[in-house]
Amino acid sequence: MTHESGTAGRTGTTAAPVAEIRELRVEVDGRAIVDGVSLTVVPGKVTALVGASGSGKTTTGLALLGEHPPGARVSGEIRRTAEGPIGYIPQHPAAVLNPARRISALLTDIARTQVRHLPRGRRRAAARDRVLTALAEAQLPDAESLLRRYPHQLSGGQQQRVVLAQALLLGARVIVADEPTTGQDALTKSRIVDQLRAVTARGIAVVLLSHDLEAVRALADEVVVLRAGRVVESGPAQRLWAAPRHEWTRRLLDAGRDLTAPVGATGGTRPVLRIRDLTARHRDGARGGTVVLRAPALDLHPGECLAVVGRSGSGKTTLARCLAGLHRDHDGEVLLDGVPLPRSLRHRGRAQLAAVQYVFQDARAAFDHHRPVLHQVARTAIRLRGAAPGPATREALTTLARLGLPEDLAGRRPGQLSGGELQRAALARALLARPRVLLCDEITSGLDTVTRRGLLDVLRALLRDRGDLSLVLITHDLDVAALAHRIAVLDGGDVVEQGPARRILAAPDHPFTVALTQAARPQTGAVP
Amino acid sequence: MSGLRSFVARRLILGAVQTAAVVLLVFALTEALPGDAAVALAGDQPDPARVAAIREAMHLDRPAHERLADWAAGLLHGDLGTSLASGRPVVRYLADGFGPTLLLAALTVALLVPAGFGLGVLAARREGGPVDRLISSVTLAVYAVPEFALGVLLVTVFALRLGWLPPTAVGYGTDLPGHPAVLVLPVLVLLARPVCSLVRLVRAGMIDALASPYVAQARRYGVSGARVRYTHALPGALAPAVQQLARTVDWLLCGVIVVEALYVIPGLGTVLLNAVAERDVPVVQGLAVVFGVLTVVLTLAADLVAHRLAPRAGVAA
Repeated sequence: MTHESGTAGRTGTTAAPVAEIRELRVEVDGRAIVDGVSLTVVPGKVTALVGASGSGKTTTGLALLGEHPPGARVSGEIRRTAEGPIGYIPQHPAAVLNPARRISALLTDIARTQVRHLPRGRRRAAARDRVLTALAEAQLPDAESLLRRYPHQLSGGQQQRVVLAQALLLGARVIVADEPTTGQDALTKSRIVDQLRAVTARGIAVVLLSHDLEAVRALADEVVVLRAGRVVESGPAQRLWAAPRHEWTRRLLDAGRDLTAPVGATGGTRPVLRIRDLTARHRDGARGGTVVLRAPALDLHPGECLAVVGRSGSGKTTLARCLAGLHRDHDGEVLLDGVPLPRSLRHRGRAQLAAVQYVFQDARAAFDHHRPVLHQVARTAIRLRGAAPGPATREALTTLARLGLPEDLAGRRPGQLSGGELQRAALARALLARPRVLLCDEITSGLDTVTRRGLLDVLRALLRDRGDLSLVLITHDLDVAALAHRIAVLDGGDVVEQGPARRILAAPDHPFTVALTQAARPQTGAVP
Repeated sequence: MSGLRSFVARRLILGAVQTAAVVLLVFALTEALPGDAAVALAGDQPDPARVAAIREAMHLDRPAHERLADWAAGLLHGDLGTSLASGRPVVRYLADGFGPTLLLAALTVALLVPAGFGLGVLAARREGGPVDRLISSVTLAVYAVPEFALGVLLVTVFALRLGWLPPTAVGYGTDLPGHPAVLVLPVLVLLARPVCSLVRLVRAGMIDALASPYVAQARRYGVSGARVRYTHALPGALAPAVQQLARTVDWLLCGVIVVEALYVIPGLGTVLLNAVAERDVPVVQGLAVVFGVLTVVLTLAADLVAHRLAPRAGVAA
């Protein structure tokens, strides 16, 4: 099966399209999600659908598979000229892996349909061979033992490759990949890009749905820029990068290119927050738990912005959680103005709680969905500073407005705000406590480039306007880290390097930091 | 899987402690009740001298902790003691009562599992349709009828009015397998409520599973409908149903007192009822041990199956 698609790819240089969409319009409740989108899918090429979140990328991608949102009215033409099914890799691969079954379950079921022509006795072995071949093609080593695992026993990257293996096993001629690189660190991103390139080399057409412009730049042959369900601009990638015709495309590209310069410098004042000999553990059944973080010494000065950089699982979030009193299982001390902070949130006083505030990655999960955002923002001032409801609401309104949320938006419930808007509200909520230290945990990941830039501008303005506010940015994104004065790099729970941002980004010492900056560089360097 | 093994060991030790606690509690409560086996035996002639004589003959005049210690020492050798009322070994009581109880439980479970899962999956497939609405409303209605009321209703209709089935097992002794007609009504009453709760649990779980992205992926990749339902969707929907099933089996084995009393079936429930009436403490304690062990083992088995079905949840003791 996979051999067939391989040969088909090599002969497919004539570039007859395998699938085509003409004037697709998808309407739900009278509102057009996708309006007049056309695109051509060519074997061995990457067609990228680019746009901010909510621009109709996923709806268009799923339409290729013949799937539409419930209750949708669909018009236009979806033509699949080539035989064979279409594979789908969703943004969260874990969602399509059955948590109750070993990963071999669906793979074997797919293979089973392909070995019907064999005599009964040989089917089982043949199906297994096919599964193992597909896993090997998806660059999953040690497939034998992997097959026996459950999805939750795999890493995010392995899950993604298992889902890719399903599509390869299926013999898909087209694979729709939805945001494969979003929210990944630089090393993982470059690995995914290589992987998708290998897929196209087999002659499979890839439809890349993404707002990650670096990945699009590295992969795409053809780019379709979407905005609010309409095609703003489309054409060969090179032409589009070099000379974007449409205003929106230009804005999108600018936002992606933007490398922020750090603002201001820090004085040599007394640190507001000091970490001494911090060792954090996770209880996982093993005696005494596993050490997930060792931070011998880390200082944060007033008005300083410290970026904590590392891959997923490096202990970044645990560090932030220790500071905020959310992770109690640690040794060592966290000193605020020289006074040790109690380990648990519950033992911290009102002033200590207000002084260290946390903004979470998933803003939507951090709000109560049944009350207006404004109430929830104002409540911080009432609870942590004892403000009266009237002044608290007024302060909330001005803070929200300064962060770019006007009054009519502030009065809405969280469900009616976008991810970027909610993240601004979450920042406002934290600021109403008048914190000394603000912990921002991956607050820009999962947002599209335009929204992300808006949020980074907000952070930069905060640093400028609130002189004594210190920021801790937990991030895997070196572009975000460039906003900081100082960078601490974490790997496997150890602080492997720390120093001024400029030096770390320009001349990293530690091999891991070198790898991280290099992984980020080729794609930004490829800007024509 | 050493984590799993230590979990099983911990649970078994905990289960032994729990069973011991149950036995102690039962002993203390029977002691606290007014009257004892001697009073019950003396029956119509509660002459104090006679009661005292019986008490002495049965060693009931010894302090309570000594009697408990004796009984516990016997238990370690597998000896559950002898009945105060009849002098027969307690083990014989349990063995006699266990046969009918096990027969009823086995028949009920054999019908419960296919009916519960089949109807649950069917209702989930036709979610919102007439079949689903019929199944959902009938299960809710039947679940609301208490078993004694349903038992009396079935006896009235099928035994007394229509005369199709015998009303009770009186006269058949312990030879129930030889007279299957006797078992129909009790099994129906025992089935009624467990089937309903199982159907509703399976239906709810299946509706979630059928709407999940992983089922969509399996369909998308050409796996056939029945295979998707039973091998991809059902395992995820099973975990809560298995726990419910274990509770039902536990209930069936540990004395379905109302149904056994209603249909006069000489099972463990009847043994328990008589022993309590006669203040036959060793028999009650023997039953407490058996019920305790059964509950511990069944709950542990259900937890292990649930762990297999929802491996991500881990195990908790």
